[in-house]
Amino acid sequence: MKSIRTYLLFSLLAIITLVTFFSVLHGYQSSIAKAEQLFDERLQHLAEIIAITNQDREPRQEDSSAHSSSVFFEIWSSELDLLVYSHNAPMEFLTSTENKESFKNVNFNGYRWRSFTLYDQRLDRWIVTGERIDIRYGLAENIVTASIIPIVLAIPIAGFIIWWAIGLGLKPLKTLAIQLSNKEADDLSAVALNESPQELTQLVTTINALLRRLTSAFLREQRFSADAAHELRTPISALKVQIHNLQQKNKYDENELKPLAAGIERMAYVIEQILSLYRHSPEQGLVQKTKVDLCAIAQQVIAGNYESFSEKNQNISLNSESDFMLQANTFAIETLIHNLVMNASKYTHEQGDILLTIRNADSVIQLVVEDSGIGIPETELDRVFERFYRVAGDRHASGMLGCGLGLAIVKHIVDLHGAKIKLEQSVELGGLKVIIDFPRDEI
Amino acid sequence: MLINSVILILREVLEAALIVSVFLALSQKLQLSKRWLMPALLFGFATAAIYALNIQVISQAFEGVGQEIVNASLQVVIFGCIALFVFFIKNAQNHKRIAFIMMCCVSMAVTREGAEIIIYIQGLIAIPELRSPVLIGSIIGAGIGISAGVFFYYLIASLSFKNGLRLGLFLLILIAGGMIMQASQLLIQADLISSQQALWNSSSFLNERSLTGQLLYALIGYEATPAPIQVYMYICSLFIMITLTVRTLNHFKQREII
Repeated sequence: MKSIRTYLLFSLLAIITLVTFFSVLHGYQSSIAKAEQLFDERLQHLAEIIAITNQDREPRQEDSSAHSSSVFFEIWSSELDLLVYSHNAPMEFLTSTENKESFKNVNFNGYRWRSFTLYDQRLDRWIVTGERIDIRYGLAENIVTASIIPIVLAIPIAGFIIWWAIGLGLKPLKTLAIQLSNKEADDLSAVALNESPQELTQLVTTINALLRRLTSAFLREQRFSADAAHELRTPISALKVQIHNLQQKNKYDENELKPLAAGIERMAYVIEQILSLYRHSPEQGLVQKTKVDLCAIAQQVIAGNYESFSEKNQNISLNSESDFMLQANTFAIETLIHNLVMNASKYTHEQGDILLTIRNADSVIQLVVEDSGIGIPETELDRVFERFYRVAGDRHASGMLGCGLGLAIVKHIVDLHGAKIKLEQSVELGGLKVIIDFPRDEI
Repeated sequence: MLINSVILILREVLEAALIVSVFLALSQKLQLSKRWLMPALLFGFATAAIYALNIQVISQAFEGVGQEIVNASLQVVIFGCIALFVFFIKNAQNHKRIAFIMMCCVSMAVTREGAEIIIYIQGLIAIPELRSPVLIGSIIGAGIGISAGVFFYYLIASLSFKNGLRLGLFLLILIAGGMIMQASQLLIQADLISSQQALWNSSSFLNERSLTGQLLYALIGYEATPAPIQVYMYICSLFIMITLTVRTLNHFKQREII
C-alpha cells in the first residue's frame, strides 16, 4: 500500500459506488414498474370515462387527429361491430372478449401498444383504449432518470469530500511523521501531539518510551566512556613510569624489558583508538558542532606529529588555496586528519611523500590525503573500514603498530558529518589516495 | 434504455477492469514495476478510437464479418498474453518481458472493450430522447465495473503472497477461458466455425441477457445455449491455463516462496 489516503479514497469510493449504483438500479426498476402501473390505471380510467360520456350506439369516427396520436380508443358492439373510434385506432378487434376487464400488448401501425378492454354491461358493448408502449416507457424512463442524475453526480462530489475528510483524519499521523523527520540526530526529546487520537496514543507512548530508553543508554555509555578512559589510562601511565624506572636502574637486561615496553605501548594505543572509535560513532549523535577551520586543523596535526615524519625522512606537504570553514566537531576532525596522515606515514617507506590537499570541488569541500606508500589492493578497499580489519591480516607487511581501527574511526567521523569517503590509488604518488567530500551546506 | 446501457457498458468495462486490476495486483505481489499501465491505457484508448472511427470499413472487410474476426482475434491475443504471463512469472528475471506482455494484454483489452463502448454511445447519443438514459446508464455501468476492478485489486493486494497469487491466477484462468468462449461465439456468428445444436439451454435458469448473466458473460464467458465446439474450445483453454498455473505455483512452492 503506497498511501493510506489513496487506499481509503479508492476503496471507500468503490464501495459507495457499488452500493449506490446497485440501489439506483433496483430503484429504477421499481420506479419503472410503478410508473407502468400508473399508466395502466390511466388507460383504465380513460376507458371508464369514454363509457360514461358516450351513450349512443351510432357508428362514427371521432375527429381526434388534433390530439395526441399516442393514445387511441374505440367502442365495439357486442357483435364486434366498430361503433366509435379515434383516427389512429386499429380497424380490427385485437384484444380478447374472455375477460370483462383486461390489459394486453398488441402490434399495429408499426408500433407496440398497451391496450385495455372494458365490457360496458349497461349498453352491451366493448370499450378499448390503448397507448403506445415506446412513448409511455420513454416518459417513465425520463421521469425516473431525472431522479437518478443527482445521485450519479453526487459520486464525484462524495469523492472530493472523502479525500478531504481522510486528509483531516490522517492529520495527526502527518504531524507525528513531520515531528519525527524534523528531529535533529541528537534530539532525543519526547514527541508531543495535541489531542492525539486514540489510535495514535499507543504509538506516541511507545516512541517516547523508546526515546527515553535511548537517551539513558547514551548517557550510560557516555559515563562508561569517561570512566573507562580515566580508569584505563591511569594504570597504563603508571605502568609506563614503572617500566621507565626499571630501564633506568640497569638491573634488568634491556632486551627483556623491550617487549614489555612495546606491549604497554600497544595496549595504550589500542585503548585510545577504541575510546576514539566509540566517541565518534554516528549512533552517538550527541557531538557538539562548531565552526572549524579545516586548514588550521591540518596544519596543527602536521606540526604535532612532525617528529614521526622526520624520523622516516618523509616529505609532508599541505596544499590549500584558502581557509575552509566547516560546521564540525573540532576534536573529531583532528582525529580524522591525524589518523589519515599517521596511516600514510606508517605505510610509506622512508623518504616517501605525503600530500594533503584541501580544495573546493563542485558543491563540496574536498580533503585529499595521498602518499607514495604501498597502497591497498583494490580487492581489499571495501573491507578496510571494518573494525579491527588489517590488510594482509595481523602479520602486516609494514610491521607497524596498529589495530585496524584507524580507518573505521575515520569512517565514523565522516558519517557523523554527513560527508563521503572514497579510496583509490594515487596517480601522482602511487600509494593510497583518500578523498573526503564535506557537504558545503554544513558550513 | 438505461438498463440496456448499464448492462452493455458494465460488461465491457468489467472485462477490462478485471484484467487491469489482476495484473496490477500481481505486479505488486511480484514486486514488478507498474510503469507499463499508463502507456498500455493510452495506447489502448487511441487504438479503440481509431477502431471505432473505422468501424464501417472494418465491418465490411472479410465479406461483411470483419468486425467479428477482428474482435475474435483480439480476444485470442488477450488469451495468449494471459497464458504467456502465467508462464513467465515463474522467473523474476523476466520482468521486462512480463511488463511487455501485460502492456500488450491491457492495450488489446482496452481497444476491444473501448471500441464497443464508443460505437454504442456514438450510435445512440444522437437521438435526443435517449441521450440522458444512455449517458446515465453508461456512467452507472462504468462506475460498477471500475469499482469491481478496484475491489478485486485491493482484495488481491491485501492477501498474503501465496493467497494473492492463487486468487489472481484463478481469476486469470476464468478471464482467459471467457475470452476463448467469446471468440468462439464471434467466429460462429461469422460462420467461420459451424454452429451445431446447442449442448444445453440454461436460459430458464439464468438468462444470459439478465444483469447476472451479463456479469457472468464478462467474467467467465457464460452462454445459455453453447454450441459443442464452444464448450470444447472452452475446456481446452481452461486445460491450458490450469496446466500453466499449476506449473507456476509448483515452481514458487519449490523455491519455497509460497
